[in-house]
Amino acid sequence: MADTLQTPRTAPPHVDELEAPPAAKRFSFLTDRWLAALFITPALALLVFLSIWPLIRLIWLSFTDYSVTRDVPASFIGLDNYIDVLTSPIVHKRALTTLIFVVGAILLQTLIGFAIAFLISRRVKGRGALTTLFLIPMMLSPVVVGLFWKFMLDVQFGVVNSFLDSLGLGRVEWLTQQRLALFSLIVVDTWQWTPFIMLIALAGLTAVPKYLYEAAEIDRASEWFKFRRITFPLVWPLLLIAIMFRAIEAFRLFDLVYILTGGGPGGTTETLSYNVYKVAFFGFDTGRASAYGILMVIVVIIAAQFYLRYLNRLQER
Amino acid sequence: MKGRLQLSAAIVAAAAAFTVAACGGSDSGGGGGATKAATDATANLSDKPMTLTFLWFEWPPAQALEELGKEYTKTRPNVTVKVNTVPNPQWHDAIFTQFAARKTNFDMPILDSQNIGEAVTNGSILDLTDFVKKNVDTSQYDPYFLAAYGQYPQNTTGEANPDAKTYGLPLLGDTWAMIYRKDLMGDTPPATWEDMIAAAKKCQQDNPGMSGLAFHQAGTGDAAAVTYNVVNALYGGELWNQDDRKIEGVINNDAGKKAMHVLVDEMVPLTPKGSSNWFIDEVNAAISQGKVCVGFQWVAAMGGLLDPKSSELGKTKEEILDKLAFAALPPQETDKVPLGGMGLHVSKYIPEEKQAEALNFIKWFQTPEAQKKWAELGGVPARNDVLQSPEFLEAQPYNHVFTESVPRLKDFWNLPEYAKLLNVHSTEVNAAISGTEKPDEALDKLASEEQAILDESGH
Repeated sequence: MADTLQTPRTAPPHVDELEAPPAAKRFSFLTDRWLAALFITPALALLVFLSIWPLIRLIWLSFTDYSVTRDVPASFIGLDNYIDVLTSPIVHKRALTTLIFVVGAILLQTLIGFAIAFLISRRVKGRGALTTLFLIPMMLSPVVVGLFWKFMLDVQFGVVNSFLDSLGLGRVEWLTQQRLALFSLIVVDTWQWTPFIMLIALAGLTAVPKYLYEAAEIDRASEWFKFRRITFPLVWPLLLIAIMFRAIEAFRLFDLVYILTGGGPGGTTETLSYNVYKVAFFGFDTGRASAYGILMVIVVIIAAQFYLRYLNRLQER
Repeated sequence: MKGRLQLSAAIVAAAAAFTVAACGGSDSGGGGGATKAATDATANLSDKPMTLTFLWFEWPPAQALEELGKEYTKTRPNVTVKVNTVPNPQWHDAIFTQFAARKTNFDMPILDSQNIGEAVTNGSILDLTDFVKKNVDTSQYDPYFLAAYGQYPQNTTGEANPDAKTYGLPLLGDTWAMIYRKDLMGDTPPATWEDMIAAAKKCQQDNPGMSGLAFHQAGTGDAAAVTYNVVNALYGGELWNQDDRKIEGVINNDAGKKAMHVLVDEMVPLTPKGSSNWFIDEVNAAISQGKVCVGFQWVAAMGGLLDPKSSELGKTKEEILDKLAFAALPPQETDKVPLGGMGLHVSKYIPEEKQAEALNFIKWFQTPEAQKKWAELGGVPARNDVLQSPEFLEAQPYNHVFTESVPRLKDFWNLPEYAKLLNVHSTEVNAAISGTEKPDEALDKLASEEQAILDESGH
């Protein structure tokens, strides 16, 4: 019987000294840390040159009387631009217009978007095709959307008024009457962006576990009860994120105003972004426009803060 | 969540910052302080193939200019003339944002007469004073044209100023014309502005479905602004007092208020419903479709009115002309009419060989032959001899309106702050027209906001 219980050897067997392959040796100075830095650098450089540096420059310009077209160096004027913007009655009016637009558009888009998503989610056949159809407006350029709605809503030559006229309802000044013009902007924005809300809501609705409904049905819960206690609470946090994205977008509305109403009648549909454009390009008050832009960003950040905190609390519940 | 919040906040901030930063730029750049004087560079023209590029807004004269460029190519076969266009509301921005970048993709910006001040003050266009003295016979021009389309500070006396600096020469003269339905209103044009309003009202009452008047009312560009300025000037009003730089108390004096009331209370009710956003195209469409009795339009923009393809007034040009007649604006307290049109200028930010070619184009363009060809293509020349020539007067049935209007022309500001002043002017006049503000309230607001702009500028 062979003695298999051998004492383990104390010294490791002799092998040739391990050497890195030639290529690896050549790049031995490239530690993981260096490699990471190397890979990040191009993206970082782009970020610095395209975002960080312009942002720093923007902040600096907002404290000066600089105009990009004048051959005069920028002079530091402290907070004058910020005070001018914050105390301007025109800015206050534009802020109110923007607020009405944001609230109106988001409310309408959320209601319609959720309703469509809810109806589609209950349909088994043709759900994909319907969803794709509803998404078409979102795929169009806002300028194109603005142009064709401008033609359609025209009082004299537009198809909408021709239709209303043929029904004996008379022609409506969609784009030239103060309140209606803002309402028209809301309607057009809703037409284009409701699909976005619908898409997010649909994602939320399809993710609701079926067993919850089955359990509710066993308890003979009504449709309204199931909607109120199961569907809506589970979709609501997702819907809130969609609302936030849309609110930020709506807050900086420019293109539709530019094309559809040009800010009219009498400047009553001018939003903050449209007003910044005017400050920046009509007379090229670059310093003031920079301060205006920064203030708008600050408003969005503060609003987003509160919103996200609320969303956070909602998810923790 | 906190991290996500910070990230989204940073993204939002960066995105918005980047957008607004587009308004910023370098304050170093190749600007230079004074506007470079153009010498007689046309002696050293290059034989290399090149494209001479203009920047204008989209309207019929832009296409006519490109056609005219083919005539220039016959004299300079290595040069192709290209006219780039943008929609009218973007015209100022398209030119001045490139000036801001100190690099232009156009060689010859076509500037509204009121934009010269801004371009000269910023040093963006060449000083053509010496070039013009040496190469152009300015005695052939009405001094008012030379002042309006090329000089800064503008000489508003109407007399020739030998010391004036010249930054451009007239490309297109223009003024408003009255287009009226002679088949409904008779051949004789109304004698006064008030008669015109009365005639338009009667025509509207006699022809159900038609409106009395059509004119520019939009709050964008200079649409509503020019309309008010026309009525204001006819009723004896002034935009400002140039000597003491006063707008407040001048534009909103009794004459100014009377003009605003005539516009809002007497003229606007005669316009088609929903026309408060109308500009050139809409007015032409309303006239062509037979929806209005009297229309007001820039002479240079009237070409389409006689096109049977887009008109419901007749199947031939002759049939259309049986219904439409053209006349100079009827006078009221004064006989002033608005000066429209634009000047030819040369960008400072292009290579010297391009500048030389651009100057050569200007030299060629001012010859009577080129001016007559320009008139034939639908342009409105500015040389006196061409304006009086049968070639011009017979080229279009409405050309006589411009020739008759030349002694009555009145331009508005050409200050560096023009774009800002115009924004207030158009917005407030449109507010009064559309009923969002009362006429007097809008006029007072206009006066105080414009005065603030002028005071702030410190010029």
